[in-house]
Amino acid sequence: MLQGALAGLAAGGLYAVLAVCLTLMSRLVRVVNFAQSATGMFGCYVAVFLSVDLGLPMWLATVAGIVLGGLLSALLGWIVSTWLAEADTGTRSAVTVAVLLLLISLSFILFGNKPQPFHPILDGPAVTVGGVVISQVTVVTVALAVLVAVASRIVLSRTPAGVQLRALSERPTTAELLGIPAKRLSVAVWAVTGVVSTLVISIVAPSQSNDATSLAMLVVPAAAAALLGGFRRLDLAVAGGLGLGLIQGAAAQVDGLSVVRYFLPFAVIVALLLWSQRKEVWDAAR
Amino acid sequence: MRLAERGIPFVVAIVAIAVGYGLSAGLDGYFVYLGMSAVVAGISLLGLGVVTGSAGMISLCQLTFGAVGAWTVSALNEAQAPGGFLTWLVLGGLAAGVVGVLVGLPALRLRGINLAVVTLGLAAAADLALVQLQFPGVSAGISVERPEAFSDDRSYFQLAVVVLVLCCLAVYFLRRGRWGSAWQAVAFSERGTAAAGTSVRTSKLTAFAVSATLGGISGGLLTGQVGIAFPASFTAIQSLALYVLAIMSGAHLIDMAVFGAVLWVGVPELLKRWGIPQDWGFVVFGVLGVQALASGGNLGTTVRQVWYRRSKKEPAKLDLAAKTADIESKAPGPPVLTVRGLSVSFGHVAALSSVDISVPEHGVLGVIGPNGAGKSTLVDAISGFLPNAEGAVELGGRPLTGSPSNRARAGLRRTFQQDRVPPGLTVGAYLKFLARRRLTADEIGDALDFFGCPAARTPLSQVDVGARRLVEVVGHLLARPRVLLLDEPAAGLPHEEHVAFGERLRQVPARFGVSVLLIEHDLDLVRSVCDTITVLDFGRVLASGPQAEVLADPAVLKAYMGETEML
Repeated sequence: MLQGALAGLAAGGLYAVLAVCLTLMSRLVRVVNFAQSATGMFGCYVAVFLSVDLGLPMWLATVAGIVLGGLLSALLGWIVSTWLAEADTGTRSAVTVAVLLLLISLSFILFGNKPQPFHPILDGPAVTVGGVVISQVTVVTVALAVLVAVASRIVLSRTPAGVQLRALSERPTTAELLGIPAKRLSVAVWAVTGVVSTLVISIVAPSQSNDATSLAMLVVPAAAAALLGGFRRLDLAVAGGLGLGLIQGAAAQVDGLSVVRYFLPFAVIVALLLWSQRKEVWDAAR
Repeated sequence: MRLAERGIPFVVAIVAIAVGYGLSAGLDGYFVYLGMSAVVAGISLLGLGVVTGSAGMISLCQLTFGAVGAWTVSALNEAQAPGGFLTWLVLGGLAAGVVGVLVGLPALRLRGINLAVVTLGLAAAADLALVQLQFPGVSAGISVERPEAFSDDRSYFQLAVVVLVLCCLAVYFLRRGRWGSAWQAVAFSERGTAAAGTSVRTSKLTAFAVSATLGGISGGLLTGQVGIAFPASFTAIQSLALYVLAIMSGAHLIDMAVFGAVLWVGVPELLKRWGIPQDWGFVVFGVLGVQALASGGNLGTTVRQVWYRRSKKEPAKLDLAAKTADIESKAPGPPVLTVRGLSVSFGHVAALSSVDISVPEHGVLGVIGPNGAGKSTLVDAISGFLPNAEGAVELGGRPLTGSPSNRARAGLRRTFQQDRVPPGLTVGAYLKFLARRRLTADEIGDALDFFGCPAARTPLSQVDVGARRLVEVVGHLLARPRVLLLDEPAAGLPHEEHVAFGERLRQVPARFGVSVLLIEHDLDLVRSVCDTITVLDFGRVLASGPQAEVLADPAVLKAYMGETEML
């Protein structure tokens, strides 16, 4: 059971990183990005294509994939902040649903709908404690999750760009009147989260079920984790991701639970929504 | 006239069934099969149109509801349950509706895109689970029996068309009824919906349940079409595509749902014929979906707009020129609404501190004060939108507590300073929605004429903003509340019309039996309408009493007009 839970931790780190990205996006650019993991998936697939079919060195292909993921995300961000600058979160997020569909279908066309021949970037155990193996992937993803969360926190609270971003997210009109370059900053946020999610998916994908749909649907457990922090708190998003990974890993060990396991992220989402529903929330401030 | 209007949908339905019969007889067998798939998709899209188009939510698991319907039909078929296919089909729809309610319940109270997250979660989970579990009877190879009379493809297609037409009729009438108005209202403004005494949660839940039910029926119908249901027909990606197709085509319009279904089947078919991978179909949907969202329109509304522009309709305006018949005004009676010690604070800012106010029966109380005095906060607090407000509110001697919709039903109505009138409804439908009771056409016509509002048939999208807000006032008056709180009702009107509006407002207690609390900046209007006035300044009551006394009070003059200016 413990081994199983720890095996789930690699996935947990992945959820946590994606949850941090979702939280940042929701806070800073008012969007729940359903294409978050799909962009990462697409970047990774291109990387695999570049290394396997074109014979590029692994590291170069991976970097190219990550850059592409960032660019894709930036392009989407540019579309949203150009045409939907004043739209509500719902409409902005609906665009990402369409993009999710587009990316999955496009990857089916370009790469087929089978899992990809990934070369693992990291392989093998990192440490063995009391007979329980912890893989390198686990260590790196969990560290990455914490690192991304802490870094975002520092950037947001200590740097001028971070302060501008917070101003933009809390009082968009006032911020723009102060001369804060709204569009440039928003696109930058999109690009950074695109890079981060492609990076983490590149690390974890080789050891996961890595067909296009599974990778694109990673946004579901990530959203469950982000919901724990109410799409606002980064620390809770990380904790949620790691926790969800651990539980899923442990549940995978129990035979009778295999179908239930699929519904775990969904159940977490429902439970968290029920909890956060205690208070009444209105659609507009007045 | 009314009879003819009611008959039109049925005539269209009969024509549609006849067309379906013609197609089933005239088309090639292969096309009949494709036609069945289109009908199945059409029912699904119709459901999505209700939840995404009418009620403005994101639902990403329409085919999961289809799977619930398919599952129910397969299980009942395997068990050889009594009733036969058509009964199972209905049961499948109901089962999906129940699942919809259960799934929707946690997501719907909160605003935002929680429903999208929940439904995507469900779709992803169901996708994996279905592959593992398979549908009942599949492993034994038991295929679902079509009803005897509809066993071959052509007649099953006819049956499917009839089911589609029945679903369309159901959606048509639901959308014209209370539920439909509530869906439109909740999509535009939750606050506006609650202020009309309609529960926001119930409205969203009914939309989601209707949508899920239609999804279930569609899934059941598909099972009858293919015989054995496979998980590949109900994947999460197809649900996503169906959603994108719904927003792109504008599936809340029934004709567009049907047209969307034709695209759903036609685009992949064409790609197949041209030898292009069928996945390009979803790529195209994705691109068009982004385009539709970014431009804020869809196929259906674009086509209709072009149509309207051709018929060159000017926005409907108010007409307050006519003289109103005099009516004997009633003397104000004892207080009907009393507010004692009302305090509201936002963080450290006290917006209202122990405010006392009373509205006399058959009277019009004016509440005036400079900007930021707390007038709108007062209305919000009395009508229940600020649950943290302290103090007591009594309506007709009874404490008034609870949610805004409860208070509205108890007889306290309010209007908003902002435009919260759903543009998707006609004036008449909106009035019926606000009134929450049966209205005769005469009643509606008289009330609209009295305030010079456009006719009941006019779509609200064709009414200018000032007139829209008066339609809102009329609707709340027709609800016959004890008290109506008006938050700057004349703000959208040209100044010349303020006087004419004031004359009418003065007659409201006698004409409609409603007492009024009026917040207004225009002192001429207040002077002409209000017998008693309360002045707020910095969240406190500065003065209160008969009009002449209050307006002559030096403290009021100082606060409201500045020291140098005189009234």
